Amino acid sequence: MKRLFAVALGILTAIGGFVDIGDIVANGEAGARFGLGHAWVLVVGVVGICGYAEMCGRVTAVSRRPVFDLIRERLGPRVALANLAGSVLVTVLTLGAELGGVGLALQLATSVNYLLWVPVVAFVLWVALWRVKFNTLENMFGLAGLALVVFVVAFFRLHADTGDLWHQASHPGPPHGEDWGTYWFFAVALFASALTPYEVFFFSSGGVEERWTSKDLLTSRINVFIGFPLGGLLAFALMATSATVFHPLSTSVDSLSQVAMPAAIGLGKLGLAAAILGFFAATFGAAMETGLSAGYTVAQYFGWAWGKFRRPIEAARFHTVVLVSILVGAAVLMTTIDPIQLTEYTLIFSAVALPLTYLPILVVANDRGYLGDRVNGRLANAVGMVYLVIVFVAAIVAIPLMIVTRNGAG
Amino acid sequence: MLLAFDLLDRQIVDRDGQLVGKVDDLELATADDGGLYVAAILVGQQVLGRRIGGWLGRWMENTARRLEPTPGTGPIRIPYDLVGTVDSAVNLTIRRELLQDPPLETWLCDHLIGRIPGASHES
Repeated sequence: MKRLFAVALGILTAIGGFVDIGDIVANGEAGARFGLGHAWVLVVGVVGICGYAEMCGRVTAVSRRPVFDLIRERLGPRVALANLAGSVLVTVLTLGAELGGVGLALQLATSVNYLLWVPVVAFVLWVALWRVKFNTLENMFGLAGLALVVFVVAFFRLHADTGDLWHQASHPGPPHGEDWGTYWFFAVALFASALTPYEVFFFSSGGVEERWTSKDLLTSRINVFIGFPLGGLLAFALMATSATVFHPLSTSVDSLSQVAMPAAIGLGKLGLAAAILGFFAATFGAAMETGLSAGYTVAQYFGWAWGKFRRPIEAARFHTVVLVSILVGAAVLMTTIDPIQLTEYTLIFSAVALPLTYLPILVVANDRGYLGDRVNGRLANAVGMVYLVIVFVAAIVAIPLMIVTRNGAG
Repeated sequence: MLLAFDLLDRQIVDRDGQLVGKVDDLELATADDGGLYVAAILVGQQVLGRRIGGWLGRWMENTARRLEPTPGTGPIRIPYDLVGTVDSAVNLTIRRELLQDPPLETWLCDHLIGRIPGASHES
């Protein structure tokens, strides 16, 4: 059991990247419209985030410094401030979207409009981040998020035409009636969300919260190499079930209830219940991840005391940032903006923050002053370099694609 | 040691591992033989704002100055004699309590965080 809880940090981090509210719907929508044509993007995303999260975990365990410390140190106060502004914007807007996601999951269960749930959810989230131990939070929501495994089970119960799915996955591209612009828009969106900056901020800060030292390198690696592939698998299951049920009918998916449908078709009421529980836990977990990340990054930029292991009065500035982020996130959502659309807009701000986040990580992971003989090997550097190029390209094309395709509407 | 590379913007940690702040700027002095040496580390948004520059930097500087407990206190000044080792962080040989309190932390503690129930409990 202890071993199982040891990977909770990795699982919770991965949930925020792969199956938060925006991704749950984006995966369902991609599956319905393009079949498994985007399956390769998930593989590319998993490999990239594994490579970089491993570096972050190693740097944190050996030097006991979280990622944002390194960003300011290597890029200087001005460029780091640009990264901070971009990351905090993405993180807070995503936080708002997740609050809406929790509301939507609760709406599925109770039929009460999600906007009525948002203030309640925001308050509960704040209380959790104020009072509940970091370990308890990550264990509870990391593991409850695994209820989404129901989509893996449902996939097998749906008796999909595997030959057809294999054909879609091995011949990536837009099917009849879709164009390359929208195809690439979805590819960039799924890739960028797999590598969102708040994942590495949360993961490395979580390592500090759990007081990792050089002895915990193995724990860090297990977290990375189990957590992220598992997150990718859940995202794949959402895409595959949607591709099985909706793609042949040429129906599109744009709401949470539609994404849940394959679980209900495959496994009945219990399947639906597990899907709703999974949606709830995943979105609440992602809300926690983004809320804490906002506090972590700001505090780490300025060098303020931070962390849930400290009493709130000892980290007043950190807790103020968390509180304000939740309020702003909830306020954005109460403008009745669509939470799912909101996560797609955050792509713009990700574009600034992605390269500025991953470049310093790669540089520091090669610095013997920090890591001694634990610096990157050839494989890690090769993966790091390749992904740095991909991240740059994704950052450049994201905005034009968004404009040209009108946010994927095609 | 390269000052800009090894010292500036690094995290400062006290004797017990508590976070003090960043090396926002350095105070240099001239030695008897005419060479320069680091006299002190400066911590605070006043000096950080100056390094950032522009309207944002000025705003940061002015806000920090307005929060000073008595006008003219300036940034937190840590004499370089108090620095032990410099590795992934700048490690001080003293406890944080012996230094000036960061004004924003004090203000938020008194006016916001400290007033919320449970603020002084460990979670």
